[in-house]
Amino acid sequence: MYLYNLTLQQATGIVCAINGSFSGGNKSQEIVVARGKVLELLRPDENGKIQTILSVDVFGAIRSLAQFRLTGAQKDYIVVGSDSGRIVILEYNKEKNVFDKIHQETFGKSGSRRIVPGQYLAIDPKGRAVMIGACEKQKLVYVLNRDTAARLTISSPLEAHKSHTITYSIAGVDCGFDNPIFAAIELDYSEADQDSTGQAANEAQKHLTFYELDLGLNHVSRKWSEQVDNGANMLVTVPGGGDGPSGVLVCAENFVIYKNQGHPDVRAVIPRRADLPAERGVLIVSATMHKQKSMFFFLLQTEYGDVFKVTLDHDNERVTELKIKYFDTIPVSSSMCVMKLGFLFAASEFGNHALYQFQAIGADPDVESSSATLMETDEGFQPVFFKPRGLKNLVRIDQVESLMPIMDMKVVNLFEEETPQIFTLCGRGPRSSLRILRPGLAISEMAVSQLPGVPSAVWTVKKNVNDEFDAYIVVSFANATLVLSIGETVEEVSDSGFLDTTPSLAVSLIGDDSLMQVHPSGIRHIREDGRINEWRTPGKRTIVKVGSNRLQVVIALSGGEIIYFEVDMTGQLMEVEKNEMSGDVACLDIAPVPEGRQRSRFLAVGSYDNTIRILSLDPDDCMQVLSLTSVSSPPESLLFLEVQASVGGEDGADHPASLFLNAGLQSGVLFRTVVDMVTGQLSDARSRFLGLRAPKLFSVLVRGRRAMLCLSSRPWLGYVHQGHFLLTPLSYETLEYAASFSSDQCAEGVVAVAGDALRVFTIERLGETFNETAIPLRYTPRKFVFHPKKKLLVTIESDQGAFPAELRESAKKECFEAAGQGENGKMEIENGGDDEDKDDPLSDEQYGYPKAEADKWVSCIRVLDPKSTETTCLLELQDNEAAFSICTVNFHDKEYGTLLAVGTAKGLQFWPKRSLTAGYIHIYRFVKDGRSLELLHKTQVDGIPLALCQFQGRLLAGIGSVLRLYDLGKRRLLRKCENKLFPNTINSIHTYRDRIYVGDIQESFHYCKYRRDENQLYVFADDSVPRWLTAAYHVDFDTMAGADKFGNIYFVRLPQDVSDEIEEDPTGGKIKWEQGKLNGAPNKVEEIVQFHVGDVVTCLQKASLIPGGVECVMYGTVMGSLGALLAFNSRDDVDFFSHLEMHMRQEHPPLCGRDHMAYRSAYFPVKDVIDGDLCEQYPTLPLDIQRKIADELDRTPGEILKKLEEVRNKIV
Amino acid sequence: MSVFGGDSWGREAQYRKRRVDDLLLDTADHSSYRKLPTGKYACLVCPHNPVLDTPLMLSMHMKASRHCAAERKLKQREEERQNDMNKRIALSLESTSMTRTGNTSTKQTNLAAKPLIERTRKATLEVLNGYPERGAANNSQSRWPIPERSSDLTNSTSVQMEGSGKDVVQLLSDHRERRERELRFTSAGWKRDCHGGWFRDENVEFDSDEEDPNVSLAIGE
Repeated sequence: MYLYNLTLQQATGIVCAINGSFSGGNKSQEIVVARGKVLELLRPDENGKIQTILSVDVFGAIRSLAQFRLTGAQKDYIVVGSDSGRIVILEYNKEKNVFDKIHQETFGKSGSRRIVPGQYLAIDPKGRAVMIGACEKQKLVYVLNRDTAARLTISSPLEAHKSHTITYSIAGVDCGFDNPIFAAIELDYSEADQDSTGQAANEAQKHLTFYELDLGLNHVSRKWSEQVDNGANMLVTVPGGGDGPSGVLVCAENFVIYKNQGHPDVRAVIPRRADLPAERGVLIVSATMHKQKSMFFFLLQTEYGDVFKVTLDHDNERVTELKIKYFDTIPVSSSMCVMKLGFLFAASEFGNHALYQFQAIGADPDVESSSATLMETDEGFQPVFFKPRGLKNLVRIDQVESLMPIMDMKVVNLFEEETPQIFTLCGRGPRSSLRILRPGLAISEMAVSQLPGVPSAVWTVKKNVNDEFDAYIVVSFANATLVLSIGETVEEVSDSGFLDTTPSLAVSLIGDDSLMQVHPSGIRHIREDGRINEWRTPGKRTIVKVGSNRLQVVIALSGGEIIYFEVDMTGQLMEVEKNEMSGDVACLDIAPVPEGRQRSRFLAVGSYDNTIRILSLDPDDCMQVLSLTSVSSPPESLLFLEVQASVGGEDGADHPASLFLNAGLQSGVLFRTVVDMVTGQLSDARSRFLGLRAPKLFSVLVRGRRAMLCLSSRPWLGYVHQGHFLLTPLSYETLEYAASFSSDQCAEGVVAVAGDALRVFTIERLGETFNETAIPLRYTPRKFVFHPKKKLLVTIESDQGAFPAELRESAKKECFEAAGQGENGKMEIENGGDDEDKDDPLSDEQYGYPKAEADKWVSCIRVLDPKSTETTCLLELQDNEAAFSICTVNFHDKEYGTLLAVGTAKGLQFWPKRSLTAGYIHIYRFVKDGRSLELLHKTQVDGIPLALCQFQGRLLAGIGSVLRLYDLGKRRLLRKCENKLFPNTINSIHTYRDRIYVGDIQESFHYCKYRRDENQLYVFADDSVPRWLTAAYHVDFDTMAGADKFGNIYFVRLPQDVSDEIEEDPTGGKIKWEQGKLNGAPNKVEEIVQFHVGDVVTCLQKASLIPGGVECVMYGTVMGSLGALLAFNSRDDVDFFSHLEMHMRQEHPPLCGRDHMAYRSAYFPVKDVIDGDLCEQYPTLPLDIQRKIADELDRTPGEILKKLEEVRNKIV
Repeated sequence: MSVFGGDSWGREAQYRKRRVDDLLLDTADHSSYRKLPTGKYACLVCPHNPVLDTPLMLSMHMKASRHCAAERKLKQREEERQNDMNKRIALSLESTSMTRTGNTSTKQTNLAAKPLIERTRKATLEVLNGYPERGAANNSQSRWPIPERSSDLTNSTSVQMEGSGKDVVQLLSDHRERRERELRFTSAGWKRDCHGGWFRDENVEFDSDEEDPNVSLAIGE
């Protein structure tokens, strides 16, 4: 089995983010974010919406990012610390829209290792040096400089190693143009390592160490080292060299301390939330500094989401006071970026990222702690308390959706739509949600207005070719035409010159400034000055089809005559040529006028005899048939789509100009061929089924480029994105007719008619595969199941260290009453935040839940109707119980029908040792048509039931290392059979017929069999590789797919002969008495597929995302990405793609220096999986390399692109 | 070779290749190999069933000495089996010809080819349909000795025979039902002692009103 891996949705979580001016010039400000293995450049546009400018898969784990600028330069460079054992410096190339690799220096082995640098990066604030550090021991300093041609140079590395030292954080110290200094928080463990009594370990002390790079001697030395709090976790650079006092801020548990060499510590306490339990400290998790000419300040965010503004009062080099003032509360972020334009980008740790605008910079008085008022008492320093409040200094203007982390996923067509929906459980704590993903582009509807009748067509026209916006919307009905003018409002006009008593066939701008209306009995040409020329059809013939561009018009009369008009020099429409076709014309289109030409050369004519002809419009051979192609059914609509030549540019791809002819056939197929620009020959035909209706094709503008809208049973958009031609469905209803629309309010929209309504909408977030609907949940979702018949889903949610909803609500109420705003506060217990109120003064989603002690658990079971997004039942578990597993079960010959089993643990603790008071299995009955639950009974068990599954009318439970079979009793579950021979903890159970596939948390899969006659569970096969299983899926009778916590996906299969032997063993002696091998079962499964995804896969599912398509294995990851593994069904494809992959590996090595092959084989050698993500980078290669690879493969680049497109279309 | 369609020579070449493949395969015996769903070929003659990528390789394999040896062995075994079968058929024909009453059915030839299978099939049919077929009733004469067998085929005997067939069916289904019930008890955690009595497995939990096999199965008897 060979598989093709394709990421359907890139990771949405953000590991780290930096901001700067990467495209050069002081005006532009961009953000570079690392999403695990993807490096992205984001830019807030003028409307405050975050736009993704560039996204590159680097095939390596990005661990740290830093930006620096050489003195006097206008442009920032990006330094990337990754798992490649290399330091990489990138420059953003604005012209080609790519990251250019400037330098790549190798210093160590690849992989995320303790002592190989890559984890930390620090930059000298003056851009003269960069330090790259490992978690332990090694730190390297590179000197950055310029050569005579002003190119960036990098020195050989200087070592600043210290063995037996753990590093917590590093930062550059701003000391002007003195020798660069780097600060590090370090812990020396050499003594603790030697001392077996543990005393030295208890006394171990963190130090702040300054490393000085002597630029003259080209040498790094330890300059200064001093003890810091053991809770110190982060360093922040303080401006120096005339801008500030220099030194660093050390963020420690509960404190922020200013430190510098030869300066006394200035310490201030971090204010605490009033409701925080005393045992919990406050840690800073992200920090950012903002510097203006006259002042600077820091924004520090705590682990609870509160942002503090830190300012230093200083008198030259002397810091007199350190002030920490409460600023605002936003969701906990992994990185914050303050931008010069007055934006704050907060890359959330979990959930959606947000862009905020500064309303103020915290100048108003608020809770503040200061080093001056720090009080030391007998119990330590006096804390300062505050209460979080609504946003005052920030206002959120945009958010970027993030699925991180995907906890569980299922693909079902619950809503009976054309394609199945992907249900994902996302997020954590108060920011958790159920997200329903549908393949397709999201649209945003701008307006819907009813029309007096059912319209048949709609057009938009400009008055002048140079106008920016459209002037009229023209709507044609069965016997009338309605003209609407576009201005502040859209209103009907009668002075437009259009004939309104007849239906229209086409309306367009012709020449530079005149309008044309084609109606069945003639052509009406409306000149700019109001003169009207009418051309009437000869005899009783009527016009049936029209094709036109700005200078040419072709009409087809009933009976099959074609008449060709051109606009002459005076702007007059002149008849040029006539031609009699053999039969009626089904459709027509003229190619757009090429740049700098007088006319387009090609006319496409579709006939009912299943042919499409290309006719010449050149004066020399006018109406000559240039080429002819036959199609499977009569064409309904034709459209020429020109793709401009591109060398890099916005879409980051090189391709020559080409002309495509698209045809919508009556069978619902879209047929697409390349038209030779010179000869008009058709080649490279592709077809794709779009829906049950014949697609009607329209040209629209998307991001300034021509794109194609296809209206079949659902609308599709064909557009070029980053070098790929993508044909993606839109998540919108069926449309009849459409036209592009451009006005003041909506620059690039589409106006369409459907039924008796006129709809205006815009298409959003191009390039994305899915659009999502989110339903908020209360706690971190763990798992979910579908009620088999009722189309409801049941989720279990649980959180550690939180208060139950009732307690929280009453505390909140008290809090509001105390504040005297009890009326405004929400009194009723809110339903898990799904009635999230915008003016809720303290929404949990933003402020997080108040924290309880670590051994407190809250949990709930929820029945949700995904259609109405309504929670029909919500059971909060009591007494510190938390749910971990769920399944539906039908017990044999028992009266209840489908029951719900939920595995819970009570009083679970992970530290100092995993322990629990008790585990339970709850059995619930569905009542009220499945919309509610009723507890039947609960059974105490002696471990956490992490896996439950129905098996032969009974319930299988994995409780710790025991696999147990339960039957339903009257008061409790009855233990019928068990097997205690599993190595660690069972965390997944799948069953098929009489086989049981058990997944162990550390030891991969075990294949079991249940024997009724002996009432025994036998393990007959297991895996020889210890895998830390995170997800499992049953593929077929002998095969299981699994994912481990190191980011690998693998398939194991029981060898056919073993499987047969097991199945044909009537006495059962074989299973029973066979000797175990390698301390395990007698048989071993074979690994048949192995692939390193590079991200922890949390869920696997077999599904087909296109109607009638083949099934592929889909996976969701912690970072919020979705991918698919498609099985190849021909050897030719395997050969082709493996060769393409090989060439891509050679010609296009990954950006961050990690070898692609090594990356995909990070833990185990990659086996039988071809990386489609790499293959899909083919169009981004320079043209000559594309051609070179194509030659090696005996194909043309076009064929390769077609092949890539084909395989993608098989998946989504 | 292009697999992209169009006017390239690829399609023709592919066709030619396929034709050659067909010809290569034509020479081989169809029962000696199998085309796998992956497009490869498995040799059914060799004991370890080697998988070969192309028909060409298969044809080469078939010429190999090891394959030839295996083929010889297989043929030998086949012959022996045929001999065996012929012997058995001869024996069974003898036994049936003594009792046959002359209604030679068209099945006769088939029956002769696979007597054991046919007999089993009939027996199962009897059991499953709940009554013996007409032909089966005849056969049952030979296998279930009934005292009236020697007398002529009268109405009374046929009724009796049908009755006896029913008994058999009853017996068999009873047996199966009983087996099923026993299985249900074993899977519910009951065990048998050496006297055939039932006792509860101490590691298994039971409901308060659980059926006792000692009682319910005894009643069944």
